[in-house]
Amino acid sequence: MKKRMISVLLAVVMVAGMVVGCGGGADNSTEADNTESTGNAEDFDWKAHEGTTLNVMFNEHNYSKAVISKIDEFEELTGIKVEYSSTPEENYFDKLNTSLSSRSGNPDVFMTGAYQVWEYAPAGYIEPLDSYISDASKTSPDYNFDDFYDGVIGALRWDMVPGHAVGEGSQWAVPMGWELNNLAYNKRIFEENNIEVPTTTDELLETSKSLMQFNGANSYGIALRGTRNWATIHPGYMSLFSTWGGKDFEVVDGKLVCQLDSEESIAMTDYWVQLIKESSSSQWSTYTWYQAGADLGAGQAAMLFDATCNGYFQNVEGGSAESGNIAWSTIPLPEGKTEDDMAANIWIWSMAMNADSQNKDAAWYFLQYFTGPEYMLYAGTEGNSPDTPRKSVGESEEYKAVVGQADGYLESIEVLLPNATIQFTPQPYFFECTTEWAATLQDLVTSDKYSSTEEAMKQLSDKLTDIVSDLEVE
Amino acid sequence: MNKSKGRLSAILQNGLLVIYAIFALFPLVWMVILTFKADSQMFTTTFIFTPTLDNYNEVLFKSDYVKYFIDSIIVAGGAVIVSILAGVPAAYALARYDFKKKEDIAFQILSFKFAPEILVVLPLFMIYQKLGIYDTYFGLIWVYQLISMPLLIWVVRGYFEDISVEIEHAAQVDGYSWWQIFFKMLLPLIKPGLVAAALLAFIFAWNSFTFPLMLSGTSVQPITVAATKYLASDSVHYGQMAVAATVSALPAVIFALCIQKHLVRGLSFGAVKG
Amino acid sequence: MPLLALLLSGLKEEIRMKKESKTANKNAGDINTVPFKTRARPYLIVTPALFITIGILIPFAMAIYFSLTSYSFRLPTYSFIGLKNWITIVKSSEFWHAVWVTLKYAFFTTVVEMALGLGIAILLNNNNNRFTKILKVVLVFPLMIAPVIATIVWQLMLNNSVGIVEKLLNVVGVYNFPWAASPSTALLTAVMIDVWVNTAFVILLALAGLQSLPKSPFESAKIDGGSALFTFRNLTLPMLKPSLYIALLFRLMAALQEYAIIFALTKGGPGNTLMNLSLTAYQTGFQFQKFGAALPYILVLWLFINIVAKQIVKRQRAAQKQALGKD
Repeated sequence: MKKRMISVLLAVVMVAGMVVGCGGGADNSTEADNTESTGNAEDFDWKAHEGTTLNVMFNEHNYSKAVISKIDEFEELTGIKVEYSSTPEENYFDKLNTSLSSRSGNPDVFMTGAYQVWEYAPAGYIEPLDSYISDASKTSPDYNFDDFYDGVIGALRWDMVPGHAVGEGSQWAVPMGWELNNLAYNKRIFEENNIEVPTTTDELLETSKSLMQFNGANSYGIALRGTRNWATIHPGYMSLFSTWGGKDFEVVDGKLVCQLDSEESIAMTDYWVQLIKESSSSQWSTYTWYQAGADLGAGQAAMLFDATCNGYFQNVEGGSAESGNIAWSTIPLPEGKTEDDMAANIWIWSMAMNADSQNKDAAWYFLQYFTGPEYMLYAGTEGNSPDTPRKSVGESEEYKAVVGQADGYLESIEVLLPNATIQFTPQPYFFECTTEWAATLQDLVTSDKYSSTEEAMKQLSDKLTDIVSDLEVE
Repeated sequence: MNKSKGRLSAILQNGLLVIYAIFALFPLVWMVILTFKADSQMFTTTFIFTPTLDNYNEVLFKSDYVKYFIDSIIVAGGAVIVSILAGVPAAYALARYDFKKKEDIAFQILSFKFAPEILVVLPLFMIYQKLGIYDTYFGLIWVYQLISMPLLIWVVRGYFEDISVEIEHAAQVDGYSWWQIFFKMLLPLIKPGLVAAALLAFIFAWNSFTFPLMLSGTSVQPITVAATKYLASDSVHYGQMAVAATVSALPAVIFALCIQKHLVRGLSFGAVKG
Repeated sequence: MPLLALLLSGLKEEIRMKKESKTANKNAGDINTVPFKTRARPYLIVTPALFITIGILIPFAMAIYFSLTSYSFRLPTYSFIGLKNWITIVKSSEFWHAVWVTLKYAFFTTVVEMALGLGIAILLNNNNNRFTKILKVVLVFPLMIAPVIATIVWQLMLNNSVGIVEKLLNVVGVYNFPWAASPSTALLTAVMIDVWVNTAFVILLALAGLQSLPKSPFESAKIDGGSALFTFRNLTLPMLKPSLYIALLFRLMAALQEYAIIFALTKGGPGNTLMNLSLTAYQTGFQFQKFGAALPYILVLWLFINIVAKQIVKRQRAAQKQALGKD
């Protein structure tokens, strides 16, 4: 009887001790502002979800190719099986929308951009990641969440209120890579023609015009995107637009009002239209990211005002005819503006978790592995994925050795990164608005539909205000 | 005088054919040329370049192309087989039986081909998810019936209508069973039409884009969607895409060559023989 | 409102038809033109029709239902809003513009494909040599390239910086022709690509028709000394009508709802130049997520397609009977 009592007592003490011990936990405080860290770091085990199968949807891109090349290693480390599909960007988001709307939980993980978060988060498609990041039992101790550049990780945070800027709220996704927008030019052509790199918008226009047909009848000054969708507005155009002082929406009395009829907006758009008409491709309105970059690489365009890595991919060895000849500058300044006004727009390819996923913890393992420091170092160097979101990688010798080869690339980014953010006002009708915007731009360049830029922008502004009219801003 | 006029006219006519042939075939020839061009020479050379088999290597051996190809064969081939198995009897019945609303039903079947894909794809997506046939061979084969069965039924019906009922009567009198009549007599008579319509049905199914895009994706990936994969956002590999497109056209090409005898005659609609 | 009533009555009619056909089939043995009285036979027709019918009527009904709601991928819930979507489109200039573009595109592609297809078929039929023998098979090949891929290949060829067509045009002094990038030439480009892919279909049908024409009427016409044009108009054409009607039917219906080529080419641009009903529905539904608002566009299109198709089929069956009767 006595022996029994003692053993029961011992057992109780043991259990109590364990419970207390667990509760104490490690004090890994991670960056997340308002969530306390939970979980015990000792409980973290890469093999915790062995046997699960994850479905991942990728957009066809260098970033995803790099991830795919390391999926075998991930499978070995965790015992999680990964099934994935990779779709070209033209159709990727349409397909993703359909999949998410079915709420079937497939895919568990998907690639996305920052703007899509403004649609998906209010619809309840994305799982907020804060609780995973701050849970030491779910996140590897090496993860080092603080290592991400503030602007980059902040752009993926939003509080779901239309009109509120990014940076506050839940963490909706983790970054794979990002893009700023700057001017890339062919330094060989500039040297041969004794041309200085333009630093103001006036200079840009002049230089660009002077370079028309520099290499035969089909060559031209500056390559720009022009297709009828958001991809035309958000790179070069939006960066210059913001530098000029333009804004897309303002909050007035709890509603979003479009500001595209402001003086700056009209002036900048007028300039842009002129730049295209007088010095860009004759097929501008069908030009995607790829055609614009390819023309630079083929030596048919002397300049490119687009995403940072667009020119980068053309410049790498064997990438194109003009490999090694591309150099980078920053954003040409409108009159009265200085370097501090340079406001590059930032685009972030990232990965997010489906809120309906049946394998959330396993999905988080996938997310943290492929945004972890070890993988990102590989991606930034051998994986041909420049523009790393991690400071540790960006400041490493290996990364600088590889990416630093691009003339002026890292320097330009250093200048632009401090003021770079998402220049758009977050709201769920982003894609509809920017598509209309692009269509108007196309009309201005290719037709006489509008008697002036002012008329076009005023009509556009009214239209967009109407589109967002059912949104309430608190 | 007539002879030289005839010859001049013949030259002119053949000349016109040559012009059209150039228009129709040049892009195909050029596409095949592209398959042998390396990315780095893609934009700087036209016809004179150093040919390489790299694109073929990349696409056929280093990517999942073969899997997509097989997926397409299963789905398109399966769809055509199902269309034949279900369609030929239906065509027979529509030809032989006479009942009210026959023409309306025949029209209904034909109208399936015209149903805009966008209209049906979303509801079908939801239905497929519920039934669990999303992203399966069965699901795609079923939905492909919308595009492969209608033409097949109509062509074969035309053939059946052409065949006189007396033949069947006579054979029955002679003691043949229905199956024997069907396979030994009717089938050879409808073969040209059946085979030509099957080719077209195969082509329609093989080239379908919207259905595979929305109703499948991971386990089943037909070639039409997969071919555009080689046009990634970052670097477009036109050479690889050309390989994907060229190889994906092969099954239809081979099919067409096998049935060339029947190909032209096959698609006549109740036009007279003789 | 009348549209909806029409659709509902059409739906009722279809359901009634199905019921009737089923019962009719059970009695088919009585008015059967064939003596085989096996019971299984009547159900032959029902099986495939049922197989697909369920597949199409249900989505169709769902589509009508959703068009009366504010269904959107973006919103977690949706509400029944009645005819609001329908009224909006009737009042919007976007819708009528889309109708106009749809008709324009369909008209040009169909006319060119029919004329070109018939013309080539006649040429092939009239000239029988080794060249034409090869052509008859080889000319079908463009049809085997998926339209999306054909568009991508053509775009590359037409690119001003690096495309081969541009280089060829340069030889004759034409530089920087905009092709799909300018509102004035975008439709031309889209039509050209559609024609390139699909003319083969018309050629196949027309050629088949031509080659099954009986020789005797033509021989007598020759003896009677009629001109080629006369022969063509009064002999060839009427006997070709069944084939031509089918070709017209398929091509016209496909052209009315074409969106893949246009999407791959310009996504509907420049501006709104190529935004037809199909593409507008795709954009509104799949890209902007407003599915309820997108469905009326496509439902209107389908209604129009059905009406036109019925007319063509009626004529086709009549022409077929006539051709058979002439034998």
